Amino acid sequence: MSDVRLMPVCGNAKRALRLRLSATALAAGALLAAAPAHAARTPAGTVINNSATATYDLPGGGQNTVTSNIVSLTVDELLDVSVASADGGDVSTVPAAVNQVLTFRVTNAGNGSEAFVLTARDNAGGDDFDPAATSIVLDTNGNGVYDPGLDTLYVPGSNNPVLAPDDSIVVFVLSSIPAGAANGQRGRVDLLAVAATGSGVPGTSFAGQGQGGGDAVVGATGADAEDDGYYAVQAASVAFVKSATVADPFGGATQVPGSIVTYRLVATVGGSGSLANLRIADAIPAGSTYRPGTITLEGSGLSDAADADAGEFTGSEIAVRLGTVAAGATRTVTFQVAID
Amino acid sequence: MKFLLILLALLLPSAALAQNQVALNSEVFVERAVRNADGTSRVALETPGVVTPGDPLVFVLRYRNNGSAPAADFVVTNPIPDSVSFTGSESAGAVYSVDGGRSWGTLAQLSVRNADGSSRPAALADVTHVRWRLASAIPAGAEGELRFRGVVK
Repeated sequence: MSDVRLMPVCGNAKRALRLRLSATALAAGALLAAAPAHAARTPAGTVINNSATATYDLPGGGQNTVTSNIVSLTVDELLDVSVASADGGDVSTVPAAVNQVLTFRVTNAGNGSEAFVLTARDNAGGDDFDPAATSIVLDTNGNGVYDPGLDTLYVPGSNNPVLAPDDSIVVFVLSSIPAGAANGQRGRVDLLAVAATGSGVPGTSFAGQGQGGGDAVVGATGADAEDDGYYAVQAASVAFVKSATVADPFGGATQVPGSIVTYRLVATVGGSGSLANLRIADAIPAGSTYRPGTITLEGSGLSDAADADAGEFTGSEIAVRLGTVAAGATRTVTFQVAID
Repeated sequence: MKFLLILLALLLPSAALAQNQVALNSEVFVERAVRNADGTSRVALETPGVVTPGDPLVFVLRYRNNGSAPAADFVVTNPIPDSVSFTGSESAGAVYSVDGGRSWGTLAQLSVRNADGSSRPAALADVTHVRWRLASAIPAGAEGELRFRGVVK
């Protein structure tokens, strides 16, 4: 018998898709809004000079021109930040799940390069249970999707993200869901971002701490922003059936060397909601050899390479990524081995 | 040599008077809401120590005729600094340019060419220069001021 493992990982591929869509919309919107926004906000350290010129007639004929003094203003750094949930809705999860991902976007709304200190608050009210925020991860590779092992763990004070004016970064908050959370309940986690230079009442000034040596002044946001994200428990469950058919070299069904075994794996999602990032992995049984190119999903062939399609053969097991599977749906995977 | 010095002494004051007959001084203030003791707030003009994007600015141009003769046809031109968006003139009679000072008019007379070749009516934010032409000569010893507003981009 081969070993079958089911790995419902609730990172939620559907949400990731929505996220990409909303990120695209956001990018388009940002492009539209960005041109005036970039043009509109004067960078910290810019010097504004003003002078006027006057002409008038001289008493004896001819004209005279006078130029006023030049009055100069230096534009100081405005400290502003915004935080927005990028999930587009509740993130579905299951009780006792760990490393459940909420996605936020932190934007430097000021006019100077600024570092931001991030904090996750998991005990805010307005929810049914308190998730335990276990880590904050920066979307280092900038793809908007949490990539374990690729994206960088955030350590306050050591790698505060530094953002140019109008730049933003996607930040993931990873949480554990309490085992006692019931189906349909929601849990809230807030992400807070505060300008490292300082925050407070708008207008508060930090002398000499602005970009370019000027002052840094707290803007309308208080240089302190937050938004909330929600987990929603959707207790879907998965039932799994594995079957095998054998074809021997002689047209029969005996298990002899050279016989070909076709395994059929049927996953059925029950309960309510959906299972995200559902993945099937099945080790090739000892005494048998995988037959290359035989993985199918819903009757369609998948390649053995770890590439864009959902299937792969790792050398010891086959794996198929099923994505988000809604309750009530089934997925059928087949593959073949030859008996040694 | 002595004759030359006397000649210079005679010439210089009158030359200086002619050259510096009208003095023009530029100042800028930032408008800040100031809270009164009774909790109400008023708008005060402050000399800016600090400006940040969005701050409303008031530019004040003061002129004074220091000479002994009137100065006629007095025209003041102020290019709007790059990082300032013009929001309006407080002094009457202003004309504007939206093309770097090539053509002038009231806002209604001006238009801006779009990237696609079409044109649209000019807006305050398009103004690149503001200009005033005083209707009457500035009498000797008289002074006045012209004001316009902008906001730090």
